[in-house]
Amino acid sequence: MSENSSINPLEQSMKKIQYADYDNWITNFALNLDDIWNENSSKDLSQHHSNQNNIAIVIGKGPSIDEKNHLQILANSNFTGSIVCCDGKLIDTLKCGVTPDKFPNFYVVNIDPGSHTAKLFDHPLVSKFGSKIKGIFTTISNNNTVKQARQSGIQIHWMHSLFDYNDGKKSFNYISSIIVRSKKHGNGLPAIQTGGNVGTSCWFVSWKILKCTKVVLLGMNHGWNEDTPIETITKHGVDFATSYGVDTPEFQRLFPKIYNPDLQKYCILDPIFQYYRGAILEFILRSPLDIETINATEGGSIFGKRVKSMPFENFLQEYT
Amino acid sequence: MFVCINIVLKTNFKKIKSDSYTDEVTKEFKPELTPEEFEEYVVNSGAKGSFMIYRSKNKDEELGLDEL
Repeated sequence: MSENSSINPLEQSMKKIQYADYDNWITNFALNLDDIWNENSSKDLSQHHSNQNNIAIVIGKGPSIDEKNHLQILANSNFTGSIVCCDGKLIDTLKCGVTPDKFPNFYVVNIDPGSHTAKLFDHPLVSKFGSKIKGIFTTISNNNTVKQARQSGIQIHWMHSLFDYNDGKKSFNYISSIIVRSKKHGNGLPAIQTGGNVGTSCWFVSWKILKCTKVVLLGMNHGWNEDTPIETITKHGVDFATSYGVDTPEFQRLFPKIYNPDLQKYCILDPIFQYYRGAILEFILRSPLDIETINATEGGSIFGKRVKSMPFENFLQEYT
Repeated sequence: MFVCINIVLKTNFKKIKSDSYTDEVTKEFKPELTPEEFEEYVVNSGAKGSFMIYRSKNKDEELGLDEL
């Protein structure tokens, strides 16, 4: 076992926190089951891969995407590859003119068991373009969210999210996979590593399911700009959260400032971004060598081995 | 344990001042926070949109499975 892939204390903690919601995951699966049997596997989406569609742009909701007008730049580009949008940025993306009419290989990803994501699919623009958007949902995605997406016309494609398959035949991942296969999807569904968040899931979907060999990251900051208000940073941008004081001894451990040599500037992490960042950098490093990850976010903390950073406009000039 | 100083923060600090940091990380970064600190922060923030990272004895599985 490599040092990078051993379970670290933060991952153990997140596992404990997330398992408090375990009963809801099972409920979600049960409520989704008829639809999983009747609808498509996300594996079917690999048929859209071609030499002309070998690049995926992942759209996250980090602040740089708005600060750098990346969606407007993308809307005005001649990009011919895939758009892999995280659920939380779908409405903004459509508002900016990045639509399936212009980019036919348009996907939206949801991995969230919570019901709070239903509203992300409830908007006139989602209804307008929904029938041309391919949705990729996990078998434990919230049933109300999936219903809303379906109601907006989105074609649902299913996958599993891995969390306990390592526990063998008693694992929910194993049991649910057998239940799914019992009626349809005889070979099963793709199962992804989420990396803990939908942005990293989009990166996995891009190369594991859509088979793209170049994955471009937009809005994947996983860190805060230096000039972000402290309350936003210390509350992870969540209004109801409690803030932390800069003078407390633990402050610099919780909110370290790190130097991004690709951008030649600092950014600030919070504990959740420390968790997300460590995961995606590890998995980029462990991905097959023919997978190239280009970070065009122009902000944040994603840099390191096998991450090629470049301004988004330079990417478009070079690759389109 | 953390001390909540919302009122002070709202009145005196809008942004993190450059002199708040004595330890800017310019090399490879490794988290130093404790599991307890992490859990408190995650629970406090509601952890919306978060999920766990999958680990396995079979390391290849950690990158996902084509069919399950």
